[in-house]
Amino acid sequence: MTGVLDRRVAGPRVDRVPPALVPPAPEPDDAEVGRRFAAGDEQALAWAYERWAGQLHGMAVRAFGPGPDAEDVTQQTFVSAWTGRAGYRPDQGPLPAWLVGVCRHKIADTWARRDRQRRTAEAAVAQAQAAPQVGGPLVDAAVADRVLLLGELDRLGQPQRGIIELAFFEDLTHAQIAARTGLPLGTVKSHIRRTLERLRTRLEVDGAALQS
Amino acid sequence: MPHCSPEQLALAALREPLPASDAAHLDGCAQCRAEVASLQRGVDVLAVPALAAPDSSVPPPPAVWAAIAAATGVHSAPRPEVVAGAGPAADTVAPPAPPPPQAERAAATVTPLRPRRSRLLLAAAAALVVGAGIGAGAVALRSGDDDGVAVAAAALDPLEGSGASGQARVVEQDGGLRVLEVDLTAPGLQDGFYEVWLIDEAVEAMVSVGVVQGGREVALPLPSGLDLGQYPVVDVSVEPLDGDPTHSGESVARGLLDT
Repeated sequence: MTGVLDRRVAGPRVDRVPPALVPPAPEPDDAEVGRRFAAGDEQALAWAYERWAGQLHGMAVRAFGPGPDAEDVTQQTFVSAWTGRAGYRPDQGPLPAWLVGVCRHKIADTWARRDRQRRTAEAAVAQAQAAPQVGGPLVDAAVADRVLLLGELDRLGQPQRGIIELAFFEDLTHAQIAARTGLPLGTVKSHIRRTLERLRTRLEVDGAALQS
Repeated sequence: MPHCSPEQLALAALREPLPASDAAHLDGCAQCRAEVASLQRGVDVLAVPALAAPDSSVPPPPAVWAAIAAATGVHSAPRPEVVAGAGPAADTVAPPAPPPPQAERAAATVTPLRPRRSRLLLAAAAALVVGAGIGAGAVALRSGDDDGVAVAAAALDPLEGSGASGQARVVEQDGGLRVLEVDLTAPGLQDGFYEVWLIDEAVEAMVSVGVVQGGREVALPLPSGLDLGQYPVVDVSVEPLDGDPTHSGESVARGLLDT
């Protein structure tokens, strides 16, 4: 008995403390980066860039190939996210998911800008040649509708937004979404239905394709 | 066959395979097909490969951060060697765990994202090319179920006049995860719950699969590696809220999986 007490009061041996328990400079986890980002901590912007710029640039390169357009998208994503950080709500989802949403907007905006430039150039050519304008309005409509519906997604609350993004952008079935989110199958199905109705209504009211 | 439910038509718009009866109805019903087409416009606008979740990491050139710093005026800076996507481990996808506090975290900081499947995206891309290409051919692609491949099913029959019955089926989703979908019709319980088990034919060994309610379809993930041939009996029991994790012995419905 005495021996046990003796060992206990001897205290821990300092040289055997695992090094992982005393990290030299602990870095915040992703959630903490998100909170600090929302609060305007400049270091959080650098951390976000370290962690997610590669993924976001990967998206931009997938859309436009490597080069100036992709680099503009990545740059604008971080600049917009930083200046618009008041719109990021840490309780609504992780920061990288929000950044991906911002990046989608920048990709769609870039498509729209390229489309305007193309149309301007074609109009100039057509005028010079006194020929009918080439290129159908449907292409412009699809580009414009993409910008419109990305904006409509921003208006969705949770869990509707997360559900439809898993369906659209991660290609999950409703059963997989239920398994991923823990929501009942019926709930997932009815949210999907209502969101698709909402997008349909938005297209019918403001969409370019149906009005052209 | 009555019209497909609004929810099933929405799933069809997402190009999920429908149950065989719905798919057959959709094939011959212009009204349901028109509804799918109208819901599908939004899908085709947004579910394009270029907007899908990130699937690969590409380190941006240093000029990108320089432009961000210039535009925002921030004085912090990322460490170039740590920017995700730099270095040989660029494509490593980390598990969703807190990053280690030590150095060498380039790979560990990559946002964990599952490999993207291409069914919906490829279909959406094809639809953009051919126009409004919808209809039963676009939705009944697999073996007549709406969320993966059904690999086994069982009718759950009442035991001893319990009044509980239902359907169960094992669906293998893309990626290999198997779920047991249970649709149970049973009276509500005052103080207790329904639990689903997979049991061997000797009714000696069993695996608890999860909790279900009457009147609501539930999808319960199955442990990977579980041999359904060894545990072919789907059993629903009434469990009291007594803290005892073992089977109460009070089974109310049971069925044999046809694998």
